[in-house]
Amino acid sequence: MLGKMCAGFGLLGLASVAQAAGLSSPRLPHFAPRAKRLVFLFLNGGPSHVDTFDPKPSLAKFEGQQPSGELYRKSKSTGFMPSPFTFSKHGQSGIEVSESLPNLARVIDDCCIIRSMHTDVPNHEPALLAMHTGNLQPIRPSLGSWLLYGLGTENKNLPGYIVLRPSNQIVVGPALWSNSFLPAEYQAASVLTSDMTVEKLIADIRNPLIAHSEQREQLDLLAKLNQRHLAQRAGDPELDGQIRAMETAFQMQREAMQTFDISREPAAVRAQYGETPFARSCLLARRLLEDGVRCVTVYYTATGTQPWDTHSNHNTQHPKLCADADQSAAALIADLKQRGMLDDTLVVMGGEFGRTPYSQTDGKDAKKAGRDHHHTGFSTLLAGGGVRGGLAYGETDEFGMNATVNPVHVHDLHATILHLLGIDHERLTYRYAGRDFRLTDVSGRVVREIIA
Amino acid sequence: MRSSAKTIHICHLFRAIFLAPVLSFSNAAISSAAVDLVAQFEKEVRPLLEESCFKCHGPEKQKGGLRLDRKADVMSGGDSGEPALVPGKSAESQLVARIKSSKSDDVMPPKGERLKPDQIAAIARWIDNGAHWPAPENPDAGTAPKPTAAPATKVITDKDRDFWSFKIPQRSQPVPAAKNAWAKQPLDFFIASALAKSGLAPEPGAAPAVLIRRLTYDLTGLPPTPEEVDTFVQSAARNPQSAIESLVDRLLASPRFGERMASMWLPLARYAEDQAHQVGKDTKFFYPHAYRYRAWVIDAFNRGIPYDQFMKLQLAADRMPGTDPSDLAALGFLGLGPKYYNRGRLDVMADEWEDRVDTVCRTMLGLTVACARCHDHKFDPISMRDYYALAGVFASTAMVNKTPDGKTMKEGTKAAEMDPAVMHIVEDAKPQDLNVFLRGNVDSKGPVVVRRFIEVLDKKDASAFSDGSGRRELAERIASSENPLTARVFVNRVWALLLGKPLVSTPSNFGHSGAMPVNPELLDDLARRFMDGGWSVKALVREIALSATYRQASSCDSGKLARDPDNHLFSRMNRRRLTFEQWRDSVLAHSGRLTESVGGQSADIDAPDNAFRTVYAFVSRLKLSEQLMRFDYPDANVHSEQRSVTTTPMQKLFMLNSPFMLKNAASFAARLQAGATDDAARITNAYRMTLAREPDDAERALAADFLRRPSSSPGMTRWDEYAQILLISNPMLYVD
Repeated sequence: MLGKMCAGFGLLGLASVAQAAGLSSPRLPHFAPRAKRLVFLFLNGGPSHVDTFDPKPSLAKFEGQQPSGELYRKSKSTGFMPSPFTFSKHGQSGIEVSESLPNLARVIDDCCIIRSMHTDVPNHEPALLAMHTGNLQPIRPSLGSWLLYGLGTENKNLPGYIVLRPSNQIVVGPALWSNSFLPAEYQAASVLTSDMTVEKLIADIRNPLIAHSEQREQLDLLAKLNQRHLAQRAGDPELDGQIRAMETAFQMQREAMQTFDISREPAAVRAQYGETPFARSCLLARRLLEDGVRCVTVYYTATGTQPWDTHSNHNTQHPKLCADADQSAAALIADLKQRGMLDDTLVVMGGEFGRTPYSQTDGKDAKKAGRDHHHTGFSTLLAGGGVRGGLAYGETDEFGMNATVNPVHVHDLHATILHLLGIDHERLTYRYAGRDFRLTDVSGRVVREIIA
Repeated sequence: MRSSAKTIHICHLFRAIFLAPVLSFSNAAISSAAVDLVAQFEKEVRPLLEESCFKCHGPEKQKGGLRLDRKADVMSGGDSGEPALVPGKSAESQLVARIKSSKSDDVMPPKGERLKPDQIAAIARWIDNGAHWPAPENPDAGTAPKPTAAPATKVITDKDRDFWSFKIPQRSQPVPAAKNAWAKQPLDFFIASALAKSGLAPEPGAAPAVLIRRLTYDLTGLPPTPEEVDTFVQSAARNPQSAIESLVDRLLASPRFGERMASMWLPLARYAEDQAHQVGKDTKFFYPHAYRYRAWVIDAFNRGIPYDQFMKLQLAADRMPGTDPSDLAALGFLGLGPKYYNRGRLDVMADEWEDRVDTVCRTMLGLTVACARCHDHKFDPISMRDYYALAGVFASTAMVNKTPDGKTMKEGTKAAEMDPAVMHIVEDAKPQDLNVFLRGNVDSKGPVVVRRFIEVLDKKDASAFSDGSGRRELAERIASSENPLTARVFVNRVWALLLGKPLVSTPSNFGHSGAMPVNPELLDDLARRFMDGGWSVKALVREIALSATYRQASSCDSGKLARDPDNHLFSRMNRRRLTFEQWRDSVLAHSGRLTESVGGQSADIDAPDNAFRTVYAFVSRLKLSEQLMRFDYPDANVHSEQRSVTTTPMQKLFMLNSPFMLKNAASFAARLQAGATDDAARITNAYRMTLAREPDDAERALAADFLRRPSSSPGMTRWDEYAQILLISNPMLYVD
């Protein structure tokens, strides 16, 4: 069932193939980029900001008090719920980080925490779509596809935009990495990472019935037939493109097999990342970035469709999730830095929204309290790629309810990501259905304050 | 508000209008930073002031003596005498203090929603940056173009109606010089005329074996059998004209014709069987019987339903007198539209109505109307009133799951509990006229507009729709020989299907931002005769297929290639790559595994055993088949204007290594081996099947040499390997 494992890889940026197909090669950036590539570590379900990066001592002081003001839905809860974690200052910057994230705390001087994120709705589906495509309905291209459209790819033998998902079930699913109306060239290659055997990772990467050398003989015959056909047709460049794509596919079988094979990593490196599905995906992400992939998204879905969606038992579930994500994300940042890649690799980590500073019990056992969806204030981590390290930007109010100081909307985050990659978000447009579309629609402010 | 304030986009025109007066002040003293500040004002601040303040502090009303749409008034303040803002100091600015105020008797705006923190921040930032306010084009006028209470009201003028595609197509008389012996069909005169003007000659006719392969693929999507090729080549030698006529008639009568045409139509109709949003395991909005619509489309093309009728049934079969219950399935065109998460909420329904307007207008009219949801169309004479007049039709239409005898399933009935006869169609709901939603924002209602057709396409004194939802009247306005677009748009699609390139290169956009036709007289003449002849799709296909233009060879010399590189003149046939549907169906046909049954339910095309034609693939909005995606099948969430064509190594990996390919290569090899006793004859048969010709000596020698070598792979014989090579070769993948 190889066909089940992975969606089609996009066009691999072969100039001649692209031209033959009537597509063009990279034509951007608009200005000198700070980052050449992007890795988005996506924590599906919405991680709690008040338990990670946004300390709110007032939650303890006013524990049990019902939140006031405008709420998305009426709180059925025991009121404000303090974080069970202690926050303390870390690094030269002295940014306060929860004890649930000891490894990220160690690299905090390389990170910028936006504490004033906000999005439009507190429901997973539209909020996921907003974070991925800038739109609440599933009909727009994803950030990665826009990047690929704008910048092309740097390695002709690998897809330019790769999605790593430890499980088959992701809420919303492929619309999150869709190229939508952008040409199919800009589609993501979606790779299921539950089994890291290379042949399971990439669809049809190997012919199970035939030796490599014998396949070469097969292709030699094919090349002769195709060349004769081409010669009789005045060297039609489109036919030539087909011939080249076939050869590239043959080469790819070996190259991709190497890039995707994390067993080639030293044991020490693997140990740094950890041995969970998310950890292995982060390690694979680094190998892909290293070999020229433009954009990689790693989804945190190994233990369910949206593990961070802790409506109940929050205080027992959340630390486990943190422990896993913390080790792998910090290892990735450190690994990129050690290889000199952090300067031009933008790392983003976060979810589609945050979680309520007050509890959710729905009238049940308060000991099993959870936190509900929360979209008016949450945190996102950025590192590398021209971002100012050691910065906590923006604030929520004293309870973490609303982004109050320097609020950053999802559109603003997108505008900033594009900016760091050398793209003016207002000029990256695509004419479709009679009008120009862009990732940020009519909004988006580049948050220049977080740029180093 | 960002989610619903859908002012959308960024037309270049928009920027030109707003930035031009500012840029004209540009000199060394005004840096690009100043331009940024202006842009910031225009984008972040002015719209906010417009939406939240001008109603009471604008040109119409000046509550408290304050007017906020002109800089001078802002600075002189209201009755209090205090300026509304202090440039550079947001903290000292009344404006900021009032919008931030926590006192309910003090806060602005006094009613409705408060400004969001990021909106307040934007205003504060603008003030801190100096409250840059660009000089108006006309200093006497307020900087606000209009009070928001009046929606954009584009007035349609005679000049608007004068655009080429908004005028009813007329017959043309080709110049007599073009009436040469080469022409076989009326359309040929127009091609000959264009060629004569350029001093180019058409290519000679393709060889009969090339022609039958081309025609069979174009009209049925499948390759001809060797026997069909032989019969045609022999009869063409006797009488070429009668041979090709009987061939085309045979192909038009084949049930495969409808399948081929449906492959063109279904992506226009964004045909799919589920939804992009699935909450948990909830499938209540899915369309398990979507295939009934597909079957109807195939059957309609096979039956030869006139195209005007074909459209009317898809829009309003339930509202037309004497509709046969079996034709109600046609309503799947609307009934299979996407349903969005939280449907029922006004803003979500507004998104759904946009899908219906967009799909109907782009598919049938080649017009991009959905832009006018938030503002008048930037390029075409289409107003917001037009958009909401059409959206009202769909707001008055309900999506239902219903049997032909009228039994309706409750919304939310699970697939397994559905009556097997259910179709996913539409019916009239309570008729309602919509308000214009200002800037597309459902919370910001403008005046009500009655349901009616697009003004620029309608008679000047046309009346509003009054029959239920108005779908029947809409259908009649679209499927009308008074409509200037409908026939042109369809004729252009069929032309592209057969000639490999459209006459208008933007097939779903015949407006100002679309392309002009190459050979406009040809397009108009074809469209006119298509309508006058009773909208017969088969007659249209027949004329094109029998034309001298279509019969040309696809090769030409380098001189012609240089003079007509994009083949705008149709000075030769376009060499075409098989579509994914054609290629996959051919692989199955050669392997002998193709299941030949017309209509029926969908099957997962990613299953290597699936041997149905590709048109019967399950099409998902949630998770499109990986095979379809890899081979450029469009996203089924929206109308697809035309397919993008990519050439990727991943496609080639599928051809080299996929279980589907290996299985079919082995079947093809077995079939060849069983069909003859020696390799030479088998090689001949292989060529006759895949390429409709015999191999030449060099090809025989290459094949024989390859087949003689011992194989070291127990999984594949040399014959398996050879069969696979032929199936994935360029000669097979292309049609000359």
